[in-house]
Amino acid sequence: MGNCCSDDAGGRTAVGGTAASQANSRDAPNDAVGCFFRSRGYHGFFSEIELSLSASDLLDRDMFSKSDPMVVIYEKGRDGGLTELGRTEVVLNSAHPTWITKHNITYHFEVVQTLVFHVYDVDTQFHNIEVKILKLDEQQFLGEATCVLSQIMTKSDRSVSVDLVSREGPGRSNRPRNHGKIIVHAEECVSSKTTTEMVLRCSDLEYKDLFSRSDPFLVISKVVESGIKIPLCKTEVIKNELKPTWKPLYLNVQQVGSRDNPLVIECFNCNSNGKHDLIGKVQKSLADLEKLHSSGQGENLFSPTSVGHDYHNKVLKSQLFVDKIAVGVQHTFLDYLAGGFELNFMVAIDFTASNGNPRLPDSLHYIDPSGRQNAYQRAILEVGEVLQFYDYDKRFPAWGFGARPIDGPVSHCFNLNGSSHYCEVEGIQGIMMAYASALLNVSLAGPTLFGPVISHAALIASQSLATGGRKYFVLLIVTDGVVTDLQETKDALVKASDLPLSILIIGVGGADFKEMEILDADKGERLESSTGRVASRDIVQFVPLRDVQSGEVSVVQALLAELPSQFLTYMRTRDIKPSV
Amino acid sequence: MALPISRAIEVTVLSGENLRMDRKPIKKNAYVIVRTDAENFRSTEMDTEGGSYPAWKEKLVLDLPGHARAMTVEVHCKTSLGDRVLGTAIVPVSDFMGGFVPESYLHFLSYRLRDKRGERNGIINISVRMKMSGGGYGCSSSCSPASEMKIGVPVGDSSFGGAVTGIPVWCAYPARHF
Repeated sequence: MGNCCSDDAGGRTAVGGTAASQANSRDAPNDAVGCFFRSRGYHGFFSEIELSLSASDLLDRDMFSKSDPMVVIYEKGRDGGLTELGRTEVVLNSAHPTWITKHNITYHFEVVQTLVFHVYDVDTQFHNIEVKILKLDEQQFLGEATCVLSQIMTKSDRSVSVDLVSREGPGRSNRPRNHGKIIVHAEECVSSKTTTEMVLRCSDLEYKDLFSRSDPFLVISKVVESGIKIPLCKTEVIKNELKPTWKPLYLNVQQVGSRDNPLVIECFNCNSNGKHDLIGKVQKSLADLEKLHSSGQGENLFSPTSVGHDYHNKVLKSQLFVDKIAVGVQHTFLDYLAGGFELNFMVAIDFTASNGNPRLPDSLHYIDPSGRQNAYQRAILEVGEVLQFYDYDKRFPAWGFGARPIDGPVSHCFNLNGSSHYCEVEGIQGIMMAYASALLNVSLAGPTLFGPVISHAALIASQSLATGGRKYFVLLIVTDGVVTDLQETKDALVKASDLPLSILIIGVGGADFKEMEILDADKGERLESSTGRVASRDIVQFVPLRDVQSGEVSVVQALLAELPSQFLTYMRTRDIKPSV
Repeated sequence: MALPISRAIEVTVLSGENLRMDRKPIKKNAYVIVRTDAENFRSTEMDTEGGSYPAWKEKLVLDLPGHARAMTVEVHCKTSLGDRVLGTAIVPVSDFMGGFVPESYLHFLSYRLRDKRGERNGIINISVRMKMSGGGYGCSSSCSPASEMKIGVPVGDSSFGGAVTGIPVWCAYPARHF
């Protein structure tokens, strides 16, 4: 924690808790906060999900009674391999079982998580054996079902019903046999939404600085079983003050563990050299802090001092007060999905001449007859296959830029489907087909302008607002080179930052993309337009697509991982609620 | 583009970033004056805690005269030597009016501040929304899922804001169904 304070502006701000994304949304981009969230798994990016299972109309495999079903849950990897996540208990004699065992699974927004369910009839002779050690090949197979986790999460009731199929193959019987259905219900663990807001104050702090009063700040840590302290959040530094009141702190119940978990609250004097002196500390659980608040009394800080080999605590005159403590529920990304919000996917593809003649194999646009995807196809697929589940009609606007359509001048925003009236195509396959046919129908030109496609996406986003749509838009731009209209692009982005829109830019090919990083506010200053307007939030993510080795985390996933927090920043700053 | 009659707007002055006086970060006592014309202006309280990153979060209600094309946001700082203007930003009315966006939309806007000599001095963050006369429809309340409506003609300026260049007309936008 200490060396966080070495840089002046960033280091003195408050870190941690759950409201930070709100508090910092319009402040200068704070790398420390970003790292902090990433290292701790801020639940804007992922969330704990509890799966419950039930089934109907299962096959009867037992002679005189109904089946005794059990489900094995697998997650399917990118290579198609199955990893077992868990097993339910065996329900006796039921064709419509509801299993009690719940399974926790971590939902990742940026990954397509395919779940596979195998239902078995467990014979009576095995009923005394732990389900975990049952040999599955000795059980009778009742059927299997596959679904994608994001499919469940985007349903308003968070349930999907999937038909069970046999894996015997079509050869065995010509008529499809009814194997029943499995119903999968997913629930976000409630603790992740509950946050506690606290206002803390200290009195009579000791002087630690030589010539001035102390510069105090608080660090709140939880104590885990091994006695190690894990810092959860820290307050801002208040300069030259012996009776400071800090800004509200937000703690998540999931971070804390439980209301009765001990928390160590330490008060430090901030030193610019990074060696902060401990002024004093207290150890209290959230429940204790609530009592402290209701009594209105202060708790004396103590300071651990060592006398010889003994440690003992010296009680100080300084006291800690809880001015406010309130428990609230913060809406998560998944709440918004359940409330009917959707992410609408849009694509813009670079058709500038620098890609090379699409008929030649060294072109970035070369479509390999063997089916091997080119970089553009890979980028569209990787992003599209994740985002399609969040777009209900799966009709995606698709544009090209930097090319000359058959009989016209160079266009910086033309419909990929060749139509002059509408820009939408059906499904990810529709994008791929429109892309391939556009390659035959346009001649590549230049320069590389982003302004027109961004303005166009912004127009769609603002029209959606006009009709009261519960939509957030994601524009994917795939490009091989650096923008020519940097200032116009910035102008368009600054305007778009006030709209429900995020922009992902994927760079393909070997060009030097250094200039593109300017657009990504994570890596530089906030975007400024030519008129002096500044982007009100970060809406651009840029990443160069390099060859991804198998097994490596795809750069595209890292790109997508930021979308939920951009979505939440937009919704929360406007106080838009997930339900009608 | 501006309406002939005067309208009420709600400007929330949120925060400032990296404010400097004589190249040094300010310590305290920054405040903001928002003007829509010579007669119409409102001021925030002084910030005493935030140093060069002050936060006001103060809502100011102002009349926006029909002829007004822009409002100005001035950041001042009170010191023992008197009152100084740290920087000014011009906010075009088109940044929060016109286009397709509903009138009651809450706009979050940020601007670069420039001092008397035109040099950059920090950023000001504000939010702006038009005051609705009676029965206002906020964005959150007007949201109805999956509306299959056609788009109407936008109020005021039809070219989606002022500064964007190059929206190809032949892309035939109105033919799109939502």
